[in-house]
Amino acid sequence: MTRLSSPHWRRTAAGLITIATLAACGGTGAAAAGDTPTTGGTIIYGHVQEPPCIFGGWIQQAYISRQVLDGLVTEAEDGSVKPWLATSWTTSPDGLTYTFALKDGVKFTDGTPVDGEAVAWNFDYWENHDGNSTAKVSIDPYYQAAKAIDATHVAISLNKPYPPFLTLITQGYFGIQSPTAVKTKSEQENCEKPIGSGGFIVKEWKHGEEVVLTKNPNYTSWPATAKHQGPAVVDEVRWKFVADGVSRYASLSTGESNVVYEVPTVSWKDAEQRYQTIRYITPGKPVSFSINTKTGPFTDKLVRQAFAYGADRKAAVEAGFHGVIPYEGNPSVSQATPGYDAEVAKAYAYDPAKAGQLLDQAGWTTRNADGVRTKDGMPLSIKLVYGAGFIFTSEGATVLQVLQEQWKQIGFDVKLVPATLAELWGGKYSDPSTFDATPSYWTSPSAAILWIVWRPSTTASPNYSNRSFYNNDTLSQTIQQANTEPDVTKANALYGQAQKIIQDDAAGVGLYTQNSTYAIAKNLKDVWLEKSQGEPVFSDAYFTK
Amino acid sequence: MPTSRSNALGRFAGKVVSSVGVIVAAASVTFFAQLAVPGDRATALMNLQTGQEKKWTPEELAPLNERFGFDKPVIVQYLRYLGGLFRGDLGTSYTQKRPVTEVIGGQLLPSLTLTVAALAVAWVLALGVTLLTVKRGRFLSGLGSTWEALTASLPHYWVGIVLLVVFAVELRIFPIIGGTSASGTVLPVLTLAIPLAGFLGQVTRDEFVQVLEQPFVTTARTRGMSDLGVRLRHVLRHAVLPAITLSGWALGALVAGAVIAENIFGRPGIGQVLVTAVNTRDLPTVTGIVLVVAAIYVVANLLVDLAYAVVDPRLGGAR
Repeated sequence: MTRLSSPHWRRTAAGLITIATLAACGGTGAAAAGDTPTTGGTIIYGHVQEPPCIFGGWIQQAYISRQVLDGLVTEAEDGSVKPWLATSWTTSPDGLTYTFALKDGVKFTDGTPVDGEAVAWNFDYWENHDGNSTAKVSIDPYYQAAKAIDATHVAISLNKPYPPFLTLITQGYFGIQSPTAVKTKSEQENCEKPIGSGGFIVKEWKHGEEVVLTKNPNYTSWPATAKHQGPAVVDEVRWKFVADGVSRYASLSTGESNVVYEVPTVSWKDAEQRYQTIRYITPGKPVSFSINTKTGPFTDKLVRQAFAYGADRKAAVEAGFHGVIPYEGNPSVSQATPGYDAEVAKAYAYDPAKAGQLLDQAGWTTRNADGVRTKDGMPLSIKLVYGAGFIFTSEGATVLQVLQEQWKQIGFDVKLVPATLAELWGGKYSDPSTFDATPSYWTSPSAAILWIVWRPSTTASPNYSNRSFYNNDTLSQTIQQANTEPDVTKANALYGQAQKIIQDDAAGVGLYTQNSTYAIAKNLKDVWLEKSQGEPVFSDAYFTK
Repeated sequence: MPTSRSNALGRFAGKVVSSVGVIVAAASVTFFAQLAVPGDRATALMNLQTGQEKKWTPEELAPLNERFGFDKPVIVQYLRYLGGLFRGDLGTSYTQKRPVTEVIGGQLLPSLTLTVAALAVAWVLALGVTLLTVKRGRFLSGLGSTWEALTASLPHYWVGIVLLVVFAVELRIFPIIGGTSASGTVLPVLTLAIPLAGFLGQVTRDEFVQVLEQPFVTTARTRGMSDLGVRLRHVLRHAVLPAITLSGWALGALVAGAVIAENIFGRPGIGQVLVTAVNTRDLPTVTGIVLVVAAIYVVANLLVDLAYAVVDPRLGGAR
């Protein structure tokens, strides 16, 4: 009971806010904004987490580096890849070389030209000099080299065909930085004020409070997906860090912010009525359980399947997140990802009777005094380790508690182990002996994420991202075939097969999609999210009056 | 006379030495406690840089191990750290790539402003309620002690959210995310001050009731002194001593514990930095902050000693 007190407080408080703001708005709401566009002004954006550096391999860094650094290409709403710093590109017939033609005359904000050399240098920096470990892991097994052909052409060569390559490099991790700045400035300077060619420049970082981004007046390299041509319309963006959801959302109602990230789900309906809202379902691996197939009760496939059947995950997710966050039954690829197999997602609908049969079949036939199933005197105990406060909010933790209760009915004794960021990132739960199931997500615009997560782990080439410790050669071959298949339909069919293998074997259990939600004041137009990871774009936004 | 002066000097020197000892001990304990946390620092750093929670190969970790000296024996790492400490060098943050002195320096003033102001406001509230309600008839006394019991047990988060709803959202008197501005500081200060005031008030009230029954109070009253005069000049002096002692503790606790108020009101401060640094196993930053908090405790306790001497003249002679 005590565990529930914290989310309860939050919910009560959020309820108070709703009432209070509705009352307060009776007066001010009347002065509704007109539709006349204006130039200038400052966008105040309420974000949640403060990253250690402005760029890097964590999505929190990609959100902000997107404002400052331009990419080579970008992803459009329909999933196609569109020009950005590269105006066009060609792929060699063998699928091994991508030659990009760069927009002419673009300069980084320190004056360095954005040329073939600079782009080639960035690829080398990510891949070979610890420039960005997520960029590296996204293209690692396929990347070979990058070479400047002339000032406006650069060639990236691969060692195997890899059609998802173009889509993968649309992610914010692949933001191009000025080589001059990285080479000559101190690490601290580049961490705080990386130099790109983007729509904004980092003016000041008030640690613990905000990053002030100022417009790049000489901006010439907006992406093909931009909503207007030219430098940013507003003068500044104040990127504030407001960790608390209640106050972050409330700041919109008092006009202290114009855009907020991660609207508390209890406030979502209210937000839809009063503001412009954007809900972005993240492609890639959804929030799903990795099931330890190497040690413990889950080495038995029947027990894994019983676990999947044994709780009404869909109902728990819908209740826990107030219908805002969609349930995702597919453990390996989320519904927003190209190549998603919707059929696979339908497996293991709640069926406690079936779960019971499977457990009986697996030999877990007796129950102890607590109602927990036993086999050879051993109780059916599951250690479920989850990141408390970062992967799982208090609402997510409530979902887990609901599931725990249902699993108990069919004889699983699920122990929920909240892990801190320090424990999880420090590697306390990386060994198979330390958990039976653990939920996580990994954003990626391509089903090629399957290879990152499910590549078999070998002694020669360990894959520590394979948190189910699941080595399946058929699966491995299917994904590799899909990754190199030039025909999209065929590739997606193969990705679908891979998802089915994982689902059939219950090597993972789906839960919900990773989402980003935004609420935007009605007088601020053309704030949009880039497609690959849902980073907000402010360089087209303008205020109306 | 000369002997008493050298005695005083000796005592002062002793205090300084023991203070430095406390600080070095705090640094050392933190240093080793951090190393004792399960998990590996290079792994944590790699995971922080990638948003992952996995293991890494020794080859992947090698550059970080070498760069931060994690591959050196622990004693070497410790001596290096201690050496830096005496040169005023707290090291470089693993995650922010900045000197720790800079990381902390930028956050120290907002933290100190918040905590000192919260302590001052807590005292004003506590004394006001005590003076006005102790032994003022059943109703008022009951009201005062209920108020204290209630506020002392309120969670900071709840106080902060209620203040935010009432004063920022509904009445629009103060900003929600006011940063370090004066008006933005009011609500965070009250968030910390209200529960603390209840706590200080409870302690003062017990003492106050007892002192009011002392013979010297009756004597003062028979001399014709007014009730308020008696309370202010005689009783209060005695009654505040326990609360003064607690204030030394409160000041240190507030600096590190202000994170809830900081989070709600989007305010910079050491509390937030400490939480992030612990999560990311940023050892130099954690140790640096513990040092600063230890220093604040030391200074606060010296101030408490001084305050005792001022409030209780009998202690003056003993010094």
